[in-house]
Amino acid sequence: MTGALLIARQSVRLALRENTVLLMVALFAVLVLLSAWLGWQATATVDRIYTDAAAFLAAAGQPVPTNPVLDTSPLILLRNMAVYVTLLGALSAIVIGNHLVAADRGAGVLPLIGSRSLPRRSYALGKLAALSGLVLALMLAAAVIGTVTLLALPAVQLHPGQWGRLAGFFGLSALYMGIFGFLSLAAAAATSSRSVGLLIPVALWLAVTFILPALTLNLTPTAVLNPISALVTPPDAGFFQWAGWLLGPLSISQAYGTTAAGLLEFRPMDWLDRSAIGAGPTLGLWCAASLTLAFRALLSLPFSTGDYDA
Amino acid sequence: MRNPVLIIAAKDFTESRRDHFVTILSGFLAIAALTALIAGAIALSTDVATYDAAKASLLALGKPADSIRPPEFYPLRLLRGTIEQIEIVGSAIAILIGFRAAASERGRQTLALILTRPLHRWQFAAGKALAGLGVLAGGLAAIFSVSALCLHLMSGVGLGGNDLLRLAIVWAAAVAYAACFLLVSFTLTLRLRQTSTALLVSFALWLLLVLIAPQIGDTMDPDNQVAGGVFQALHISRPDQLQIMQAYAGFETLRGGIEQASLTKHFERFSFAVLGIKATYAGLPLAPILTEKVLDLLWIILAAFGLGGLALFLPLNPKTLTQE
Repeated sequence: MTGALLIARQSVRLALRENTVLLMVALFAVLVLLSAWLGWQATATVDRIYTDAAAFLAAAGQPVPTNPVLDTSPLILLRNMAVYVTLLGALSAIVIGNHLVAADRGAGVLPLIGSRSLPRRSYALGKLAALSGLVLALMLAAAVIGTVTLLALPAVQLHPGQWGRLAGFFGLSALYMGIFGFLSLAAAAATSSRSVGLLIPVALWLAVTFILPALTLNLTPTAVLNPISALVTPPDAGFFQWAGWLLGPLSISQAYGTTAAGLLEFRPMDWLDRSAIGAGPTLGLWCAASLTLAFRALLSLPFSTGDYDA
Repeated sequence: MRNPVLIIAAKDFTESRRDHFVTILSGFLAIAALTALIAGAIALSTDVATYDAAKASLLALGKPADSIRPPEFYPLRLLRGTIEQIEIVGSAIAILIGFRAAASERGRQTLALILTRPLHRWQFAAGKALAGLGVLAGGLAAIFSVSALCLHLMSGVGLGGNDLLRLAIVWAAAVAYAACFLLVSFTLTLRLRQTSTALLVSFALWLLLVLIAPQIGDTMDPDNQVAGGVFQALHISRPDQLQIMQAYAGFETLRGGIEQASLTKHFERFSFAVLGIKATYAGLPLAPILTEKVLDLLWIILAAFGLGGLALFLPLNPKTLTQE
C-alpha cells in the first residue's frame, strides 16, 4: 500500500470515530431526508390549493389558469437539498477538513510521521484523498436518500435525462462541499490554533453565503435560504450590474445555487448570469484554488516540531 | 475590596480590547450590516428613479401621474437586511465571543491561579459572561450607530427622535437575542472536555435554530413555492386568498409552530414590527406595536435569563477547565 493510501485510510478511520464529525454527518443526513419530505409536502400543498382555487374561480365565473405544479419538473421536489448543501453540507466539510489535520496536530504525531520514510507529498495527498472520500461518501448517502424518495412517490416519474441531471446535481454538491473541505484543510494546516483554523473557513463561508449575495443580487440573508426567492433578478441599477459582474467570480454560493437550480429544473427561463466568468468556471476555479491551497499548506506542516501550543 | 465579578469582567474586557479579536468580529458584522443597508438603499433609489421616469413620461403624454403607485419610503425599512444580518451573522459572532470568553483561560494554566483566590465558581463564570455581554452590547451599539448615521445621510429625510427610540429598542432586543447564543457557547465551552467540540456543538445549534427552523417554516409557506407567489400565479386577490387559506388553518398552525420554535423568528417579528419593516406596521405609533409584540420580546428575554442561569449555576469542573 502506498504512503498516501495508508494516510488516507487511517485518517478516514479516525474521522469516523470522532463524535463531532459524526454529529455533523448525522445532522446532514437528517436534513437531506427532511428536504425530500419538505419538497413533497410543499408541492402537494400547492396542488391542493390549486384545486380549491380552481373551484373558487370557476364558481365566480372567472378563467382558471393552469396548475403551476404541472409546469414544474419532479426534480423540484429536491430543491431544498441545494440549500442544505450550502448550509450544513459546507459546514460538515469544514468540520471534516479541520479534523483531518487538527487530530494529527493535537495528538502530536506529526514529528513521528516526519521521522518515517514517508514523503510529505504522500502525507498531503493522503489527507486530500481522505477528505475527498469522506465528502463523496456523504454525498452518496444523500444521493441514495434522494433517489429512494423519488422512487417511492408513485406520482413522480423521471425520464433518463432527469436521472442524469440528478446525478449531476449530486456531483456538483460534492464539488461544492469539497471546496470548503479543502479550504478547511488549508486553514487547519496553516494556523497555529485549532479554533482559528476552524474560524477562518467558517468566516469565509458566512461571507460568501450571506454577504456577497446582498451585493450581487440585493438578496437578504433570509431570501438566500429559500431556493425560489434566491433566484430573483437583481434591481435594474448600475451598481448591481457591476457588482454582479465583478463579485460574481467570488460568489461561489450563488454559482452553486444557480447551477443546482438549473440541474433540478427550477431556475427561471429568463435567468441571466451576470458574473464575469459564469457559474461553471467560478466553481472550477474555486475548486482548483482551494485544492492547491490545501496541498501547499499540508506540505508546509511542521513535521519536525510538536504541535499547536504543545 | 472590589466585587470579584467586576474584577474578572474588567480584566476580560481589557483583554478582549487588546487582542483585536472582537474588533475584527465586530468589523465583520458591520461590513455585513452596512452592505445590506447600502444594497437596500441603492435598490430603493432605483425604484424612485424608475417611478420618476414613468411619472415624467405620463405627464409628458398629458395623462394623470396618480395612475402609478409611488414607491413607499420609510427610512427604517432600509434596515431589513441589516436586521437579518444581525440575526444570522450577529448570532454566529456572539457564539465566537462566548467561546473566546470561556476558552481564554483554558490551557493557559491561569485558571488554577484564579481559583486559589477567595472566589466562588459562579462569580468566575459571571465575570467572564458579563465581559462577553459588554463586548457584545458595545459591538452592536457601534453597528446600530453607524447604520443610523448612514441611514440619516442616505435617506435624505433624516431620522427623528422617534426613529432613534425605535432603533434603541431594537438594539436592546438584539443584545438579548445575541446574548442567548453567547451564553450557549460560553456554557458549553466551560464544560465540555474539548473547546473545539463546544464550538462545533454551538454552531450545530445555531444552524438548527437560526437557519434551519425558519427555513422550514418559510419553505412550507405555499406562497413561496412558485416564483412570484402561488396566488399571484393564479390571479387571486388578497381577500380571496384569505378565504381559501382558511381551509389550511391546521397546516398554517404547524408552520407557525416550527417558526416559533426559533428564537430568531421572535427577534425578527419584534424588530420588523418596531422598525416598520413589515408593511402592516409601517407608520404605526410605537405603543400599540410594543403591546402587540410583547410576547416575542418576552420569549427572547426569558431565554436569555434562562441560559444565563445555566451559565452561572451548572457545576464547573476545574479539571476540565485546565485542558485546552
